Amino acid sequence: MKPLLSIRDLWVDIGGKSVLRGLALRILNGEVHILFGPNGSGKSTLLSAVMGLPGYDIRQGTIEFRGQRIDGLQANEIAALGIGLAFQHPPAIRGVSLETFISAIDHTGTIDVAIKRLHLDSHRRRELNCGFSGGELKRSEILKLYAQSPELILLDEPESGVDLENLTIITDAINHILEKNHPLRLRRRGGLIISHAGFILNYVEANLGHIILDGKIACSGNPREIFEEIRTQGYEHCVRCLADGTGGKHEH
Amino acid sequence: MNTETPTDKELREVGFDPTIEHAGSFLLEDNTITQATPHTKALEVLPLAEAMERYPWVRERYFKLVSKDQDEFTREAAAAGPTGFFIRIFGGEQVLLPVQSCFLLRSPGLRQVVHNLVVAEEGAELHLVNGCTTATYTDIGIHIGVTEYYIGRNAKVTSSMIHHWGDEVEVYPRSAAHIEEGGHFVSNYIAMSRVGRIQMYPSAIVERGATATFNSVVYAPAGAKLDLGARVYLTGAGAAADIISRAVSDGGHVINRGHIIGEVAGSRGHMECNGLLLGKQGVIHAIPELEGRSPGIALSHEASVGMISREELAYLMAGGLDEESARSLIIQGFLEVPLADLPPFLRKTVRALVTRAKSGEAI
Repeated sequence: MKPLLSIRDLWVDIGGKSVLRGLALRILNGEVHILFGPNGSGKSTLLSAVMGLPGYDIRQGTIEFRGQRIDGLQANEIAALGIGLAFQHPPAIRGVSLETFISAIDHTGTIDVAIKRLHLDSHRRRELNCGFSGGELKRSEILKLYAQSPELILLDEPESGVDLENLTIITDAINHILEKNHPLRLRRRGGLIISHAGFILNYVEANLGHIILDGKIACSGNPREIFEEIRTQGYEHCVRCLADGTGGKHEH
Repeated sequence: MNTETPTDKELREVGFDPTIEHAGSFLLEDNTITQATPHTKALEVLPLAEAMERYPWVRERYFKLVSKDQDEFTREAAAAGPTGFFIRIFGGEQVLLPVQSCFLLRSPGLRQVVHNLVVAEEGAELHLVNGCTTATYTDIGIHIGVTEYYIGRNAKVTSSMIHHWGDEVEVYPRSAAHIEEGGHFVSNYIAMSRVGRIQMYPSAIVERGATATFNSVVYAPAGAKLDLGARVYLTGAGAAADIISRAVSDGGHVINRGHIIGEVAGSRGHMECNGLLLGKQGVIHAIPELEGRSPGIALSHEASVGMISREELAYLMAGGLDEESARSLIIQGFLEVPLADLPPFLRKTVRALVTRAKSGEAI
């Protein structure tokens, strides 16, 4: 079976500035990968480029989703193929209610269940992302993914600025979207999750972790081990480790 | 079977719809009144000329808020005499169903000259839906409309005006309101189609503890020239004004004015003048003015003119909407904001009108 996502030698510019520099990544069916990396290393750029957002100029390389080239497609075409992105900072859209938007993109016919699951019942009529708290923004982004019901979910820091209660609600919903309740053998959906604090590891089972440095995957391996290394030694350690060649790249 | 005439459709598009429950109706075709019917004893709907014969106090209020000598159009209205509606709601009566009125321009090239007078007595509540339109075959003509609103103590009036004129029609509304202590006046203005030229700058005098709200929702296709605004005088403590306007230009020329004059301490006013330019040809010119004449007042405004945000568009498209649907949703949302304060039954009617008007137009 074709990999869920396959990225080869990806070079992406933003406003003429090179941000991703030859990044490669493969996510197989049913896999969840966690992306770590310092600010400005290219994590969000990677997710935005996969989603086909404007302003992310793909200079070189390819992105394939289940064997189909998606680099160069528009965001809505990529969404239609089965990829969804939970934004870190979704824009506020005046005059459009959360319910109007979610209904317009719904593929499930069961969003009422998800709205309750994500404790957003009282937000149905609220203007989309207007005056939402940090936790509310994250929950409404996950609701959006639930409605889209994508095969591959891209999550940009779903845990940042979220309290423990919200974290449980959000990660329960993420596991539901990822069909974590399905038997492993049948599980096809996957995810790519950016994490700063690593909390997500305690809630969503992940197969592989990656560190992005300077627009490339610097290191890949067991997500908990990778996170532990970052936690105890910092990203400077990774930089040194790469420079002196003693670090191991755990090939996937 | 469809027995509807083309004119019925045009009337319905501006809210004159017998299938919607209403409290009264008034229809002016060219310069002839063909309906003036109250459906409840709580209010009167009469031709203004008849009301002036019947009640001396109506004669006293004729051309009292609007000056005869304001401009050439008010002078023409004064010369033409009182053709239009008189609507009075009796003290303490609250009628939530709207009174529907419509001014229909049938004959090409006609000058339609209207004068209306609205009286809400103490503690009463009245909702007006006022549509102005032309028959399909009529593209040219002039409409001059003077309307004077007298809102008594603790009374509430909402007046929603929907304009749907022909391509070359010129429109000069001249209206003014006086809101007594504790009263509320809400004016909603909706124009969604091509028009030759509309120029209006209604005013309101707001007394102690009273409020005036002017909401406008405007879509200007190429060729439309709209010069709109509202001027509010805050004359008592606790008086408040909100002027909220949203204009979309798809090639049309829109001037968006607003002027709040705070005359005494303890009054407050806020203005939002927001414009969205869709094409390269259109112009939106926002002119918000705040004038404080006493310390202890709070006046503020925000004004913006811009294009559809690329970030918002990308966000909606990443959710799976194609570009056209995403644009349409943003525009609809942009225009929706001033409608949020309408009473639910009216909001539903007006929202349907906006949707219908838009679907018939370039959006």
